Amino acid sequence: MQRMFMRRVGLALLLMLAATALTFWLVTAAPGNVAALIAERAAGAGADGEMIAKIADDLGLNDPLPVRYARWLGDALTGDFGVSLRTGKPMAEEFAERIPMTLALLAGGGVLALVLSLAMGIAGAASNGGIVDRVLHGLALVGASTPNFFFAAMLVIVFSVWLGMVPTFGVAGLTSWLLPWITIALFPASVLARVVRVNMQDTMSRPFATTGFAKGLTRSAVLLREALPNIAIPYMTTFGAQFTLMIIGAIVVERVFGLNGVGAFFIEAIRFRDFIGMQAILTLFVVFFVSINLLVDLLAMLADPRLRRPRKA
Amino acid sequence: MSRHSQNGPIYEVEGLVIDLYTPTVSVRAVDGAGFYVAPGETLAIVGESGSGKTVMTLGPLGLLPEGVAVDLRGTARADGKDILSMSPTDLSRLRGGFFGVIFQDPMSALNPMLKIGPQLAEQARRFAGLSAEEAKKEAVSLLARSGIPDPEDRYDRYPHELSGGMLQRAMIALALAARPRVLIADEPTTALDATVQAQILALIRQIQKEDGIAVILITHDIGAVSVLADRVAVLYAGQVAEEGSAIDVLTAPVHPYTRGLLASVPDFRSNNATGTKEIPGIPPNQAQLEPGCRFADRCELVQPQCRTHRPPLVKVGAGPVPHRVACPVVMAAEGIVTHD
Amino acid sequence: MKNWPWAILAPAVIFVLIGIFSPWIMTHDPAAQDYGALLQGPSGAHWLGTDYLGRDMFSRIIGGARTSLVAMAFVLMAALAIGVVIGSFAGYVGGKTELVLISVIDIALALPSLVIALALMGVFAGENFSWMSDYWKMIVALTLAWWANYARMSRAVVVAELQQPYIEAARVMGASHIWIFTRHILPHVLGLVVVYASADAGALVLAIATLSFLGLGVAPPTPEWGQMLVDGMSYIEENPALVIIPGLALTAVVVSFNLLGEAFALQKVPRAVRGRFLARKKAARAAEEAARKEVEA
Repeated sequence: MQRMFMRRVGLALLLMLAATALTFWLVTAAPGNVAALIAERAAGAGADGEMIAKIADDLGLNDPLPVRYARWLGDALTGDFGVSLRTGKPMAEEFAERIPMTLALLAGGGVLALVLSLAMGIAGAASNGGIVDRVLHGLALVGASTPNFFFAAMLVIVFSVWLGMVPTFGVAGLTSWLLPWITIALFPASVLARVVRVNMQDTMSRPFATTGFAKGLTRSAVLLREALPNIAIPYMTTFGAQFTLMIIGAIVVERVFGLNGVGAFFIEAIRFRDFIGMQAILTLFVVFFVSINLLVDLLAMLADPRLRRPRKA
Repeated sequence: MSRHSQNGPIYEVEGLVIDLYTPTVSVRAVDGAGFYVAPGETLAIVGESGSGKTVMTLGPLGLLPEGVAVDLRGTARADGKDILSMSPTDLSRLRGGFFGVIFQDPMSALNPMLKIGPQLAEQARRFAGLSAEEAKKEAVSLLARSGIPDPEDRYDRYPHELSGGMLQRAMIALALAARPRVLIADEPTTALDATVQAQILALIRQIQKEDGIAVILITHDIGAVSVLADRVAVLYAGQVAEEGSAIDVLTAPVHPYTRGLLASVPDFRSNNATGTKEIPGIPPNQAQLEPGCRFADRCELVQPQCRTHRPPLVKVGAGPVPHRVACPVVMAAEGIVTHD
Repeated sequence: MKNWPWAILAPAVIFVLIGIFSPWIMTHDPAAQDYGALLQGPSGAHWLGTDYLGRDMFSRIIGGARTSLVAMAFVLMAALAIGVVIGSFAGYVGGKTELVLISVIDIALALPSLVIALALMGVFAGENFSWMSDYWKMIVALTLAWWANYARMSRAVVVAELQQPYIEAARVMGASHIWIFTRHILPHVLGLVVVYASADAGALVLAIATLSFLGLGVAPPTPEWGQMLVDGMSYIEENPALVIIPGLALTAVVVSFNLLGEAFALQKVPRAVRGRFLARKKAARAAEEAARKEVEA
């Protein structure tokens, strides 16, 4: 199994390289003339051809693409992601300021999604076709269909505007994290709740569930002790996928609630054509996604007894 | 060969009618059937696939798969107590501690995510009242008793690490861990190789002799019946066609279906040159409710009344073990008299 | 599929119909501003009220349905076409080509679709792409972000089908590659892909709305629900309807598509049967028996 593990890690690294190379190519091929942009920002309309050419030369923008990528990669590996075209600050600094915010959002959202989805899925399975099951199914369906910006807006309307319980913008203290966390967790929790519920249903109809009953276990015991371990792997895989999708939720939430995280920066970078910023953040994203997927793959491999100890005889 | 305890049957079921419903299918799996088994004896319930053997035996215990709605009517008693009116908690305890069940395909009947040994130990703890340590020792000794070599090692294994035969033995051990009084074996050998089949059957017989428990063997394998059974009940399309001692039913069957069934089994020892004979036709569609005898469409002796009047199960012969048959036609034809 | 509640398709069907017939359903020009009637509630003249520029909300919602529908249809068809072609080709040809294509697909799947779309919108912001309108930038970005999943699916189906014995039989009989592919394999591919796409449609509508919400999708005055919502955020205290109405419309349409997808996916999972189901069946059975007894008597 060690070899499978190393192979996955290797593939993941390759993927990161390829993906960042692709984004680099796209981002740098697009803008036409980064040097002109920089010159414009620095000297206003008075930037002339000579100045632009000098900047281009300084930054090595006329070198062939693979060279530029290699240079960028070398810099990136030492933590130098360039300087944002929009804010003028080194990207590393922006990262240091903003990553904690986004991480906090993702962590809180992730925990909330985990807890909610397990609770809803198991409750539905226990009810097994009863009214609790059907109501939860409906909630999960609506939750997976509601746009997160709409949900955030509704939460703001209800809790901030009407009830005045929670501040509308920014975060100050624990309660102000609630709305952003709930918004981010909505979609993953709903999808995962369905995963739990459907997999529990499938597992409960398998022969070993009947054996569980034959052992004298009550239905709750069979649900929790025989069925639940069997949904661990599909749950983990889906959780990993949903966790990476939460970055989109973070982007929206940071915008709606005015939080200065990585997601908000990304959108600003796009709107203001901050290509260096975009490249840096996309790299961050790629590393994040590939790592999470790798982690989930590994955990799934560990969790399956069939993979941990392959058949002997 | 059979021993009737003075206290009477330990698991008995009467007048059972079981309807099964899914969103696409409605079936009357059991249509007024019943059986009983006494301590220390082995009852074989025989029939084709779909005859209702499993539903009839496991249905009263609530051990039918989820996803199917069950409507069950009749009476069922275990150790004299009415199980159909028991609370779910009591019924759970009964299922675990009083009954031990062995299912058909051990590879799918055991949870792939759980180790084997701890499951046995837990049964011993919960139902036999052993401490954690004692339970583990008991589990290991059960595995050994079931013929599993190197039981301490096997204790920590997962199902996929054992072969089919070993797994079935493990399941037998699991069924016995709670020290049950009734062992139900649902087609225990169907999924196994021929040589292993014989070993498993021998194991069951040995356990019965040593522990004096009642055994219900659900099977369509007549060979297994002849090896293990004290009494036999023959089921067709949810109705009991014939029941009695193994000797009576296997050597002197009365019901046309039983006769047909036995005639269709190859017998290597006989010098009979006619070979085997199959029963024409196919089993009836149990989604339709028909009055009368379910075997009517395939029976050589069918009469008009067979299709309108349900043949009653009546006692024939005067032996110590009641021999009952549900076919007035054959009885009339052969001058067999009822001893009711 | 027999016991399907066909009613669940209603919002999706309505969405498509409204989208197609929108010019005839609208009561006003969705872009027409009327400073005399700002932020009004529902009335006889304006069935769903007006927005902050006096535009009729009802017509804007109807118009938004068309915008979303057209955009979604474009993207879906393009992504399907590209994905199925690339994926099927990879699966059928095999060898090094397949390896290369698989790598491309994996890279394209290394990020969630919406993030790719956002990044592409950023790329398209550059001068080299200024010839594209914002709308087409969005369509292309989403298409490029969406095709990879279908490619992966198509390839998987093609690989699985190629292993079937009947393919070998067809080859022996002298069928050409094109024939084998179009006649035998493509139907399987399309079967799976279309099912997935029907549920994916909802995700795509959401993606379009999200892009517009972030200011990177459809631009005003073209009505689009996500964009109407972001505009309405500024007036959330005065008239929350500007936010609520497009939001509800989005939710309803996506719910419907999701139900469609779920109905397909759940065909193999046994349904929970309980209480009322059993009671109904018992009653039916009892009625059957009673009817039979009457006939006999």
